[in-house]
Amino acid sequence: MPKIQYINPDEVRKPGFLKFSPIPVNQYNKTVEEEKKNFSNEDFVRIYRDMVIIREFETMLNLIKTRNEYNGVEYNHPGPAHLSIGQEAAAVGMAYTLGVEDFIFGSHRSHGEILAKGLSAIDKLNDKQLIEIMDNHFDGITLAPVKAGHTGTTKELAVKFLIYGTLAEVFARETGFNKGLGGSMHAFFTPFGVYPNNAIVGGSGDISVGAALYKKVNRKKGIIVANIGDASMACGPVWEGLTFATMDQFTELWEGDMKGGLPLIVNIMNNQYGMGGQTCGETMGYDIAARIGAGINADQMHAERVDGYNPLAVIDAYKRKRKIIEEKRGPVLLDVLTYRYSGHSPSDASSYRSKEEVEAWEKQDSIIWFGKELVKAGVATEAELEVIKAETTEIITFSIKLAIDDEVSPIMDMKKHPNLIGDMMFSNQSVDKMEDRPVEVNHPMEENPRVKQLKTKERFMFNENGKPFSKIKTYGLRDGLFEAIVDRFYKDPTLIAYGEENRDWGGAFAVYRGLTEALPYNRLFNSPISEASIIGTAIGYAMCGGRVIPEIMYADFLGRAGDEVFNQLPKWQAMSGNVLKMPVVIRISIGSKYGAQHSQDWTALAAHIPGLKVVFPVTPYDAKGLMNSALQGTDPIIFFESQRLYDIGEQFHKGGVPEGYYELPIGEPDVKREGSDVTILTIGATLYRALDAAKTLEEKYNLSAEVIDARSLVPFNYEPVIESIKKTGRIIISGDASARGSFLRDLASNITELAFDYLDAPPVVVGSRNWITPAHELEDYFFPQPEWFIDAIHERILPLEGHVSTSDFSEAEQLDRNARGI
Amino acid sequence: MAIPVLMPRQGQSVESCILGQWYKSVGEEVSEGDILFSYETDKASFEEEAKEDGILLATFFEEGDEVPVLVNVAVLGNKGESFDEFNPNVALKEPANTKPAEAEEKPKVVEFDVEDDSPNKRIRISPLARKMAEKLKVNIQSLKGSGPHGRIIARDIETAEKGVEKTIQQPVETQTIKTVSQPTTILESGDDYEIKAIPNIRKLIANAMFQSLQNSAQLTHHMSADARKMMKLRKKIKKEFADGTLSQNVTINDLVCFAVIRALKKFPQVNTHYHGDKMKWFKKVHLGLAVDTERGLMVPAVKNADDLSITGMSYQLQQVATQSKSGNINPDLLNPAAATFTVSNLGNYGVEMFTPVINLPQTAILGVCTIIPRPKEIEEGVYGFVPMIGLSLTYNHQALDGGEATLFLAEIKNQIENLSL
Repeated sequence: MPKIQYINPDEVRKPGFLKFSPIPVNQYNKTVEEEKKNFSNEDFVRIYRDMVIIREFETMLNLIKTRNEYNGVEYNHPGPAHLSIGQEAAAVGMAYTLGVEDFIFGSHRSHGEILAKGLSAIDKLNDKQLIEIMDNHFDGITLAPVKAGHTGTTKELAVKFLIYGTLAEVFARETGFNKGLGGSMHAFFTPFGVYPNNAIVGGSGDISVGAALYKKVNRKKGIIVANIGDASMACGPVWEGLTFATMDQFTELWEGDMKGGLPLIVNIMNNQYGMGGQTCGETMGYDIAARIGAGINADQMHAERVDGYNPLAVIDAYKRKRKIIEEKRGPVLLDVLTYRYSGHSPSDASSYRSKEEVEAWEKQDSIIWFGKELVKAGVATEAELEVIKAETTEIITFSIKLAIDDEVSPIMDMKKHPNLIGDMMFSNQSVDKMEDRPVEVNHPMEENPRVKQLKTKERFMFNENGKPFSKIKTYGLRDGLFEAIVDRFYKDPTLIAYGEENRDWGGAFAVYRGLTEALPYNRLFNSPISEASIIGTAIGYAMCGGRVIPEIMYADFLGRAGDEVFNQLPKWQAMSGNVLKMPVVIRISIGSKYGAQHSQDWTALAAHIPGLKVVFPVTPYDAKGLMNSALQGTDPIIFFESQRLYDIGEQFHKGGVPEGYYELPIGEPDVKREGSDVTILTIGATLYRALDAAKTLEEKYNLSAEVIDARSLVPFNYEPVIESIKKTGRIIISGDASARGSFLRDLASNITELAFDYLDAPPVVVGSRNWITPAHELEDYFFPQPEWFIDAIHERILPLEGHVSTSDFSEAEQLDRNARGI
Repeated sequence: MAIPVLMPRQGQSVESCILGQWYKSVGEEVSEGDILFSYETDKASFEEEAKEDGILLATFFEEGDEVPVLVNVAVLGNKGESFDEFNPNVALKEPANTKPAEAEEKPKVVEFDVEDDSPNKRIRISPLARKMAEKLKVNIQSLKGSGPHGRIIARDIETAEKGVEKTIQQPVETQTIKTVSQPTTILESGDDYEIKAIPNIRKLIANAMFQSLQNSAQLTHHMSADARKMMKLRKKIKKEFADGTLSQNVTINDLVCFAVIRALKKFPQVNTHYHGDKMKWFKKVHLGLAVDTERGLMVPAVKNADDLSITGMSYQLQQVATQSKSGNINPDLLNPAAATFTVSNLGNYGVEMFTPVINLPQTAILGVCTIIPRPKEIEEGVYGFVPMIGLSLTYNHQALDGGEATLFLAEIKNQIENLSL
C-alpha cells in the first residue's frame, strides 16, 4: 500500500457505470488468396505439413494404444497418451510466429504444441545453430539414433530429432528429451522454446506467469504463451495466475523501462471439454471463454475468440497480439476454439458426446479443408500434398522403430545404477549468481539505512558479565536473515523477492525492513493474497534461470499453495532429466499466539514430499548461515522461521554472528548444550524450552542433558545424534508440530533402527497435542513445555527420585489417544 | 530404657534360626559382651553377645524354637522396666516366615501391572543394559529393574556391579561369628545305651543326603589317571615354595581342581543344575569343595573359579576351607545352588574308590582318591609301576547319559595327564 496512491473518497464515492467493450468472436475472414501477400507458397505448404506431422504422430499413438500396432510396427505402451487429434490447426497457428526466445508452457495434451513449436523453431534456426543444439543435448544422446544413416539436410535431420526425442520421451526412454522421466505429460525441449507441460490441469496457469515475470524483470527478449485448456479456467491457480499477471502495479508503480504489462499470452486451447465434462453448457458458466477477460481488468485482457480450426486465423491473432505485448500493454487472453476427435485418453469411451457431433466436426476437419484451399488457390497440387502425407508416414514409422528399439533407445538401467533417479532429485550445485551482469540497486550496500543500523547492534546476546543487552540493541534472528538476503541481492542480478506485505511494510515480521530503499519494484514487490500464484510464479521464474524468494506469511497458508509446493516445485529437477534447476527459497513463518489457523507447525508436510529440502534455524547465527547456503544453492528449499524468535539474540556462537559471508551445511544438526545422561533432539523454537528443561534436570535431578538442535529436516545427518546416544543411551525428540505423522516420529523411527544396541529406553517423542491450536491463553497445554520433558523422562526412560508428573506420559494414555484419533 | 534383643540375620537367604541354648536366665545380671544365647542356621551355629549391661528382663522363645530373623527374643534393661511391648508372640500367632528385607536399598519401581508372573517370565531389559551386564559379568536373572515396567536399565547394572564389587572386596568381613561345637543333649539313658538328640546341622545333612539319593538317578564311574606329571609339578612347587619364589603352596588337590575346571569348560553340560523340567546351564564355573569340619561336612563354593589362575584358585580353595573350619565362611557360599560342580577329596585318607553323593541341584560330583602304583605297559612287553590317582565321578543320569559322563571323566584324566601351567 504505497503512500503515493491516495484513495480519494470524493472520487471513489461518485456515482457512475462500468462500461464494457465488445469482444471479437471469430472475426477473421481472409482467404488463402488474400493472404498470399503475407505468406509464400512454401510458408503455406509448411503450415500444411506441420499439421500433417502432428496428425500422424497422434494417430500413430492412438493406434499403438488401441491396437498395439502402427504400420506393421508392434508395441505396447502402458503409459499415458492424451491425444489432440483435431486440434492441429490451433497448435500450428499458435507456434507459427513464435521465435526461439518465445517460450510455450503446456498441459497434459500438448504433443501437438511441442511438435508445432519445435517445427517452427527449426524453420527459424540456421544449420549451425541446429547442429549445436542437437549435439549439446545430453551430449548428443538423443541425436545419435537419428543421425546414424541420415542422408539429407540439417533441417530434415532436426525434424527427425524433434519427433524421435518427443516419442522416446513418451516411451520413457533414456534417449528422450527428458531422459524418460517426464513422459508424455511433462515432455519439453527448452532450446526450441518448449517449456514444461504439466499433468496437473491448469498447472501452467501460474507457472507461465512467473516465466513472463522473468522475461520482463531480466530484460529478456521474447514472450510467454500459456497453452491451457478451457476446463482449466475453473482452477484456482489459473485465476491466481491471471490476478498476478494483471496487477495494476506493473503499469502504475513500476518505473522506467519496467513500467508496463507482462509479456504473456494466455492461450485457452478451447476444445470445449474437460475430460468428459462439457465446459460450455455443463461445468462452466462463461458461455464463450473470451468473456473472462472482461472480468479481469479494464483492458479486458484484449480478449478475443479465434477460430482455431483455421490456422491462418490463429496466426493473424498472434501477429496482432504480439504488437500489443511489445507496446507493454499485455497480458493477452486468447480463446482459441478447437475440437478433439480422440477421447480424453485412449480409455475414453466418449460416452459424454454423440457420434453425430464428432462426425460433424470431422466433416470440417482443418487439414482436409486447408489442403483443399491450398489446391483451390493454386499454392500446391493434390499430388504434392499426398507426397507430404506419404513422407510424414515414413518419418513417423522411422521414428517409432527407433524409439522402441531397446538397444538404440534403452530405458534407464536401474540395475546398474540403482540410485540414478535419486541422484537427480537435487542438483546440489553452488552458484553465486544465476547470471553474470551488474545488479540493479538504488544505492551501494553500505549506504543502506538498515545495514548502517546493524553496525551498532550487539551481535552476541550477552555482555562480558553474562547480562543480556537490551532488546533494541540486540542483533536478532531477523537481522541474520536480512544480512544474508541483502548480500545476495547485491550479488545475484536475477534475485527477486515477493509475497504479501513484502515491500513498504518490510514484511509482516520486519525481515525486509531496509530493502525497499535499496531495490526497485521489479526486484521487491507486493504480491496479491494468492499463495498459489506466489509459489507458482516463483517456479516459472526459476525454470527460466532466475533465483527467487517467495514468501508464505504463515505456515498455515501452505495449503493454499498445495499443488505448487507438493506437485510442482519438488519434481521439475528430476522430471526434466536435470535440465532445469529450481533455485527457489520459500520463506515460511510459523506462528504462535494466533490460534487455530495461524499457529501450526507443518514441517511434516514439507518433509514428506521427495524433492524438497527443509530447514528450520532458530538462532541468528544458524539463520544467516543457512539462508546463505540456501541462496547459494540451486535446489528448492522450504525455509521455516518461528515468529517466537525473530528478535532473539545469539546465545551460542562465540563472538556472536560473524559480519562477513559464511555458509552452514544444510543437513547438519548442532549440539547446543553438551551433556552425558540424556539427549534431547529438537526441531524449531522448542530448543529454548528444552534448554530450560535441561537446566532443571541438572539442578534438581543431577542429570546432565545434551541438547541437539536439528536445524535441518531434509537432508538430515544422523551420525552426530547416534554419537550422542552412544554417550547417553537415552533420547527425547521434540518439536512444536502435532506429534502424529510428524517428522519427530520419522527421526525416532530411524534412530531406533540405527542406534538400537545403545539404547537404554525407546526414543520418546514429545510433540504438540493432536488438537486445534488453542488461543494464546491456553497454548501451554498444547505446545511442549519444559515440564513435559521431565515428565516424559520420568515415565518412559528413567524414573526420577522424588518427581511427581503433572502431565500424562503413560503408555495407557498413548494407547488411548491413538485409539481416539487425538 | 529397656532394649529388645533380636534374633540376628546371618546371610541374605536365611529366614529363620533355631534357638540353641540360653546362657543367662531371666532376672540374671548381664554385662556387655556376655554370651546370652546360641543359635543355628542351616549351615552354622553362632553365639549372641549382650550389647549392653543390664538385667535379662524376659525371654520370648525356648531352646529348640525356630525363630524368624530380626524378631525380638529377649529384653535387657533395668529392674522394674516394662517389657511386654517387645513381646513378638503377642503380635504373631505363630512364628511366621517373614520375607527377608533386601539388604540393598530398594530401587524405585514404577508399578504398571500390565503383565503378571507368567510361567516363562521374560526379563525386561534395555539393549544397553544387557550389553553392560555381559561386559561387567553381572547376573541379570536376579536383578529387579527400576525402569518403566520394572525394566532393567543401565542404572541397575551399575548399581549391581558396585554391590558385587563390595562382596568380592570383603568376603571375610561380612561375617565374624564364632562357631562352637554344640554340647549334645542326652534325651534318654539306659544301661547300655544313651539316646542323644541330633544337632540341627546333622539333621540338615541327613536330609540333604537322603533327598539327593531319593530324587536323582545317581551312579558312579571310576577311572584312574597317570599322576606322574602332576607329581613332578608338585615337587617343583614344593621346592619353589620353600625357596620363596612361589607364594602359594599349590597342592595335588589344587592341581586336580584346575584340571576339572578345564574339563568342565569343554563339557558345559556337566556344569549345570538339573531342575526336573529344565536345566540351568552356567557360563561360569563355581567350584564347590567338600570340607570336613568339626561340626560336619561343609561345601563352600569358589565363585568364578574359571577366571582364576592356578595360584589364585589354590589361594581361594585354601581360604574357603579355612573359613569353613573356623566358622567364618559366608553362609551364602554354603548354599548348594552357589556351586555348579563339587570336588570331594578323600585321597589323604587312603580311599581308593568311592561313590560320592551329588550336592543337588548340581548334576555331578567328582571324588578324588588316593594315588596307588599300578602296573602299566611302558613299552611292548615291558611293565612298570606307574602312580595312578583314582577318580570317582558320580553323575545324575537324569541329566547326563553314561557316554557323556564317561567322556567327561576321560577329559579330566586327559587334563591331569597333560597338565601344564
